[in-house]
Amino acid sequence: MFLLIFLTAVVAGAFGSMLGIGGALILVPVITLFLDVPMKVAIGASIIGVIATSSAAQIVYVDHGITHTRLGMALELATTVGAIGGALTAAMVDVRVLQLLFAIMLFWAAWSMRGRRAARRPSIPTGVLDDQFLDPATQTVVRYGVRHLPLGLGLSLLAGNVSGLLGVGGGAVKMPVMHVIMGVPLKAAIATSNFMIGVTAATSAAVYIGKGFVDPLIAVPTALGVLLGAQGGARLASRLPTRVLRTLMVLTLTVFAIQMLWRTVA
Amino acid sequence: MKNIERLVHHVLLWGLALSAALLLGGLIVWAFRGGELPTTITMPPASFADLARAQPIGFFSTGLFVLVLTPFARVAGSIVLFAKAGDRRYTAITAVVLLVMVAGLLLGRV
Repeated sequence: MFLLIFLTAVVAGAFGSMLGIGGALILVPVITLFLDVPMKVAIGASIIGVIATSSAAQIVYVDHGITHTRLGMALELATTVGAIGGALTAAMVDVRVLQLLFAIMLFWAAWSMRGRRAARRPSIPTGVLDDQFLDPATQTVVRYGVRHLPLGLGLSLLAGNVSGLLGVGGGAVKMPVMHVIMGVPLKAAIATSNFMIGVTAATSAAVYIGKGFVDPLIAVPTALGVLLGAQGGARLASRLPTRVLRTLMVLTLTVFAIQMLWRTVA
Repeated sequence: MKNIERLVHHVLLWGLALSAALLLGGLIVWAFRGGELPTTITMPPASFADLARAQPIGFFSTGLFVLVLTPFARVAGSIVLFAKAGDRRYTAITAVVLLVMVAGLLLGRV
């Protein structure tokens, strides 16, 4: 069992760091479906997994200067405010409506990430939070600015709100919002989203530990596996062509959307 | 500026290395000593007391706690970076994020 969790975690870490998503949507179903483990233990392990994914990948992304830390912090603040609001209003909203809303958001994200329209749109400096990084795959310096910052902040607030209510991390929404709406290049959006999910998870980790969600028998192999997988994933991601990452992203988002829709009807 | 980025890089790297070493150390100690493992880890100071008694759970709790602290180091490093760059707005924004993180950490202890 220990080895199985470890291997799953290696894959989840690699995938999560490559796409800037937490991997909770990968870890939780695998741990609960294939191992006879209570849901709360799976959530506890996946919180640990998300932090490990984020920090291990940030070592690589900070090194390459791909993470847009300012943008990440601004969006993180909006997300946090939304999440607190979500937690306060949780009792008033029907969970199914939220799950449906989240599924629709994910379908939108997958749809908007696909195709050439997003690919062809040039990333150019806009005068708002301009940043640049060296793309290791093409060996060119990518300069870009942020578009629609207020809209992006608003959507992050909303995403934080919904994910606070549903207990999902929200990397799968943050990433497409940054890329599709705010015009951030895919790799920078992945690295920045990866940074943010670690901050979100670390904020709530102590509460989960206090509630007894973190079982060492599950969390330890998860942490070790993810640390290994995420290093490789992040290195691979910065070298891969953007086109490949985009295809992977669309497929993953579609699977998540179907998963969320399934929860709504089940 | 580059120096602080190097520092963040090293703190993350050594933080993760320390965490992994504690977790692996815990596994080795557990393999030798055996015994039932508690179904939940603990927060400091309880985890440090277990570690001092060389209990496997002490290694696991401390290792995972070090892991949880790594994003704090990343954010704290960014505050220093923005402050040095004279960017007041983002120093403030990042400081609020860190405050919320610390509040979350303290919330888990009650």
